[in-house]
Amino acid sequence: MTTHANDPEKNKLMNDDYLWDRSGTPDPEIQRLEALLADLRHADQPLILPADAPAASTRPRGLLLRMPWLPRLAAAAVVLFALSASIYFALRPTSTPDAGPGWDVTNLEGAPQIGTKTISTTQAAAKLHVGQTLTTNSTSRASLSDNDLGEIKIDPNSRVRLLQTDNNHKRIQLDVGTIHAAIWAPPGQFVVDTPSAVAVDLGCAYTLQVAPDGSGAIRTTLGWVGFHLNGRDSFIPAGAMCSTRPKFGPGIPYFEDAGEIFRNALHDFDLSGQSADSASPALNTILSEARPRDGLTLWHLLSRTTGPARAQVYARFAALVPPPPAVTRDGILALDPPMLDLYWNALNLGDISVWRFWEQSSEPHQSPASRQTPQKKQLLLKKAP
Amino acid sequence: MAALIELHSSRSGFPAVNSPTEFTASDDALVRAAQRGDRPAFGLLYARYARMIHGILLSRVPYSDVDDLVQDVFLRALPRLSSLREVSKFPGWLAAIARNRATDFHRRAKPHDEFDEHSVNTEAEQPSPSTRLTSHSTAEAHAVLDAICSLPDSYRETLILRLVEGMTGPEIAARTGLTHGSVRVNLHRGMQQLREILGRKAAPLAGGEL
Repeated sequence: MTTHANDPEKNKLMNDDYLWDRSGTPDPEIQRLEALLADLRHADQPLILPADAPAASTRPRGLLLRMPWLPRLAAAAVVLFALSASIYFALRPTSTPDAGPGWDVTNLEGAPQIGTKTISTTQAAAKLHVGQTLTTNSTSRASLSDNDLGEIKIDPNSRVRLLQTDNNHKRIQLDVGTIHAAIWAPPGQFVVDTPSAVAVDLGCAYTLQVAPDGSGAIRTTLGWVGFHLNGRDSFIPAGAMCSTRPKFGPGIPYFEDAGEIFRNALHDFDLSGQSADSASPALNTILSEARPRDGLTLWHLLSRTTGPARAQVYARFAALVPPPPAVTRDGILALDPPMLDLYWNALNLGDISVWRFWEQSSEPHQSPASRQTPQKKQLLLKKAP
Repeated sequence: MAALIELHSSRSGFPAVNSPTEFTASDDALVRAAQRGDRPAFGLLYARYARMIHGILLSRVPYSDVDDLVQDVFLRALPRLSSLREVSKFPGWLAAIARNRATDFHRRAKPHDEFDEHSVNTEAEQPSPSTRLTSHSTAEAHAVLDAICSLPDSYRETLILRLVEGMTGPEIAARTGLTHGSVRVNLHRGMQQLREILGRKAAPLAGGEL
């Protein structure tokens, strides 16, 4: 279709075609708005259903539905009242929002809130129960603690929701703000959902931030953390950090003591497209500036590149960190999962078997070899014990 | 105990677990399965309709509350599914739950809304969805969102589904139950008004010579 620059009506129609179904001549203004507003889009967060949530079920129509309208309404009202009353009295002791398992909440400063209730500084032990949200404003801070978990400090302007807590699974959702977690629960038990990645504690202390646009960053101070979303895994050991963006998931982690040129190039690479198949200026800079310690970054780059770029990454990685005996160039270029795991362990940053165990036992996950394939939505069902 | 069931869309190459439900099943088939208590089917419906619900809510409530409310809408829909007799009306039925939830949100928020005094938006009756957003990097996005939300209901909802959620016109029609014609008109007129608003906002910034 040709552009009719002098015919406004035709241009308008073509632009409407693009607005309608993205066919026709793209309208630059609409394209700009699409790109600008994409960050506010739904972030494919999982739907969390309490296991005891009533499931829908169809039942054959009974006597009530065969009756005329007025008697039917009256009968329905009586039945409803009786039912409501019996349910209320039967469940009242345990069905209030404040019942069930929960974590201790301490007011550290200001007026943090659980739902709409403010936690006072003199309050002995407030509890955050499953399904409840803890919010801090610009002048308040709070801490969450649990004997089997550890302690999580919540900075101002944060919003945290408790999704799950039982013997083996503890899960919160950080919508926005900053948390500082010191976790002593066994690796893999504590998970934080954010709009752009899921953080899995692998035995550590860390700070996790989520911006209002859903992007985030994690900085590990002890142990290591697994960060994943949409088939991307990033492992962040102590001293390293990693950012994450909605729709893209975790970026490539790096040690914070890496040089500025290295970090800037990595930032550019992360932003420019994460499956580069040919050498880019940013990738060349990353490789030339990398130290042996930056093997952390290069290991992740293996699965974020393809073709000649991956071979280039491997060459530099192998020069800085010699591969273990069982690891071959061909295997790594094919993203052979066991070989990638062996190579990761050669970095001495954490035993990857802990992560693999978590994958298998707690959450369905994708193998590194299939990270480059296009994403396709599928349903996963997980039921906690 | 707080055992949870987690339903979500996820990565490729991974089999659906414990689910006989086909990923390619029609919406009607999924609704019928979900009515029989098939949670994976309900999860698939969530995957298909979460964007629409997100968009509907985003056109009515503050951005920071939208994700919670999306979950809430589906949690409300699940036990009520059995009351839906015509499964083909699921999209409109679900959209109605979302709109009611947004109305309910404002009704409940009113007595506690201590931020009203800071709101200077006198043009829109409802608080701006991005009132609480502060990130400089997305300031322009929020300004555009505010502009969209100042449009009439039908325009803003359709435009948000198109420009924010990335749905095409035919998808919006299929998901919301509106006709193609209505969606196309809403998009056209909404976009026209949005351009005017953005043009007016941009004019004073263009140097003040105008």
